[in-house]
Amino acid sequence: MDFKLSEDQEMLRSLARDFLTKECPKSKVRELEMDEKGYDPQMWERMAELGWLGLVFPENYGGTGATFLDLVLLTEEIGRNILPGPFFSTVVCALPILEYGDEEQKAKFLPQIANGAAIWTLALIETLGGYKASEIKISARIGDGGYVIEGTKLFIPNATVASHLLVAAQTGEGDKGITMFVVGAHSPGVEVEVIPTIAEDKQCQVTFTKVKVPEGNILGDVGGGWSIVEFILERAAILKCAEVSGGCQAVVEMTNAYAKDRVQFDKPIGSFQAIQHRLVDMFVNVEGLQYLVYQAAWEISAGSPSKLHISLVKAKAGEVYQQTCLDAIKIHGATGFTKEHDVGLYFRRVKASEFAMGDTDLWRERVAVELGL
Amino acid sequence: MDFKLGEKEEALRKEIRKFAQKELPPGSFTLLLEEESRDEDWKLAMSTSKKLAQKGWLVMAWPKKYGGSAASYWEQMVYGEECGYWGIPGISMGISGVAWVGPSLMQFGNEEQRKKYLPLIASGEPDGVWCTGYSEPNAGSDFANIQTRAIKDGDEYVINGQKVWTSCAHRARWCWLAVKTDPNAPKKHRGISIFIVDMKSPGITVNPLLNYYGAHIFNEVFFDNVRVPASNLVGEENKGWYHLMQSLASERHSFGPSLYGNARRLLEELVNYAKETQHDGKPLCQNPEVRHMLAAAAVEAEMLKLFNYQITWELTQGITPIYGSSRNKAFGDQLLERLGIIGMKLMGAYSQVDPYSKWTKLHGIIQRLYLLFPGISIAAGTDEIEKNVIGQFKLGLPKSY
Repeated sequence: MDFKLSEDQEMLRSLARDFLTKECPKSKVRELEMDEKGYDPQMWERMAELGWLGLVFPENYGGTGATFLDLVLLTEEIGRNILPGPFFSTVVCALPILEYGDEEQKAKFLPQIANGAAIWTLALIETLGGYKASEIKISARIGDGGYVIEGTKLFIPNATVASHLLVAAQTGEGDKGITMFVVGAHSPGVEVEVIPTIAEDKQCQVTFTKVKVPEGNILGDVGGGWSIVEFILERAAILKCAEVSGGCQAVVEMTNAYAKDRVQFDKPIGSFQAIQHRLVDMFVNVEGLQYLVYQAAWEISAGSPSKLHISLVKAKAGEVYQQTCLDAIKIHGATGFTKEHDVGLYFRRVKASEFAMGDTDLWRERVAVELGL
Repeated sequence: MDFKLGEKEEALRKEIRKFAQKELPPGSFTLLLEEESRDEDWKLAMSTSKKLAQKGWLVMAWPKKYGGSAASYWEQMVYGEECGYWGIPGISMGISGVAWVGPSLMQFGNEEQRKKYLPLIASGEPDGVWCTGYSEPNAGSDFANIQTRAIKDGDEYVINGQKVWTSCAHRARWCWLAVKTDPNAPKKHRGISIFIVDMKSPGITVNPLLNYYGAHIFNEVFFDNVRVPASNLVGEENKGWYHLMQSLASERHSFGPSLYGNARRLLEELVNYAKETQHDGKPLCQNPEVRHMLAAAAVEAEMLKLFNYQITWELTQGITPIYGSSRNKAFGDQLLERLGIIGMKLMGAYSQVDPYSKWTKLHGIIQRLYLLFPGISIAAGTDEIEKNVIGQFKLGLPKSY
């Protein structure tokens, strides 16, 4: 048992924090929210140079061979700084390619992700908004020397700037009827429309009209897609929770600083127990979330992922993020309610974070199953 | 980073399981402090203490020369978890002696005191049972406000005053007593001293204070010209407050793992209960609200586990935990209180039943938990006091009281 980060991990973390503080101040976050692309291509290039985009790839695919825990630590920093853009959407597609892709697919796709040339997104959920195989209605039928995909995906992050889509489509019935396809985002018949969201985070509706996909673009086996989705969900959930954990830490820190600074009744408001105890509750929950994330991430890195430990994290993160932000806004008073204050930037991301990769109820249900219920 | 316990710890876990299955009567599950009330429970607790001592577990953290096993911090943590899981009675002989009198004597007692008192605790003897005299009618959270006086008279001190909420005073052979030795100290913290008092001394009166469900756990204790040898002063005169801040830290720290063990067991019991119990014509476990309540509690239990890991890891690194003990105690109390509420909800009509009656479910654990935990979250520092500690010493906020 060891709670200490390695020297390399400490370095990765402090490098990431320095880079993001400098390159992505909150003014930049606001600018990118208004930007059509929703990310900064120059910064994306720099992130590729830093090795972030292929962090966990082996060197022969242009990566640095880091562990999943390293990726989680980096993602925590990204969440702390709420960096807008397709980092998360790209990484959650890269992981299954690395795991399920054949040699040709890996050699073709991974180096381009690592060097920043390709942006990916996961086209999974549909109009029902849920993460169940039964909710995948989009179809892929055999024809024209490959498959033809038809249907609509919803809440697909960063699809406007993606070069590739990883699409879960129905090729048969039930859990065994889902297949994963790599689809060029600019293929004929793919249409993308941005959904205005509270987080301004460029989630999209993606419509597929008779989109032709060659057989070689199937990831894994025909009908084996849902186990890939499960693989993605578990890892992506932890990465999303790492983002949330980082965001929560930033919110606690800014609120604690404010409580020391803001004077009313001739005293810093942090000297009032109503404020202090609220801050303590925020801090303790955020600290607990951080350890939950680390435990699950370490177990994944060590090759012994625990379904229970993974599910626990996503079952908690949404609630912690929401409560932390709500309390933070209240401690800041009216200032916290303004457009100029950073705390609102975090609060506006709470729901997007909760719904990405399954909401609190879905993961609580998974916890219940793991408990034997 | 590494989230795996060692083989040695896992082996100890198995050994404790074997011990619990062999030594405890069927259905026995003891929560903190409960054993002090009924005579039959106390008897079981003391006979178990003796067996734990023979196993080398009772004071496993202590050095071998004082009867301990020099166990590692990780072994201590696993032991705490398992004792909580199995509800093993007698693990602390009324708490004080094992959890903080012993460690305090090792920290600031003298060699003579260590030689006399430590072996009695370590061997699980009735003469190793202690109570702790801190709280008074006007000194609860504001502990430094104590009024009980000790005045030096030759080679003795004469003690007068009153203590209250004194757990185990009716079972204890000794009292670990905080008194005022300098009422004129410029700050009230600077006039406090610690004494060892023989509970058989003339002038001591112990009156039971029954709790709201009639259990006799705590007492009020009166000191009327009680004469104590000067050699029973522990540490330095008027330095008691500073000595105690250290022992309170060990007291709170020792709670975390057993609270987690309690929580894990209660969750298991409730999961099984929900599976076996029909409600509205279907198993309770199919009710989404029940599933989600238990899942949410399981998340918090896991957080408590990791908080315990984190503080134990700090100890192994030679880092003195600043706020972690307070965090784990307050968080654990809240979790157990919540499990009590969830459990009572699951019991439905049976939640009203006396825990010792023949109608009770799950051996009455749930009702006992539900009734006991409001008290536990006050003992050894209220949740509010723990939050003050975290606010001040971790978050760096100004004093709030």
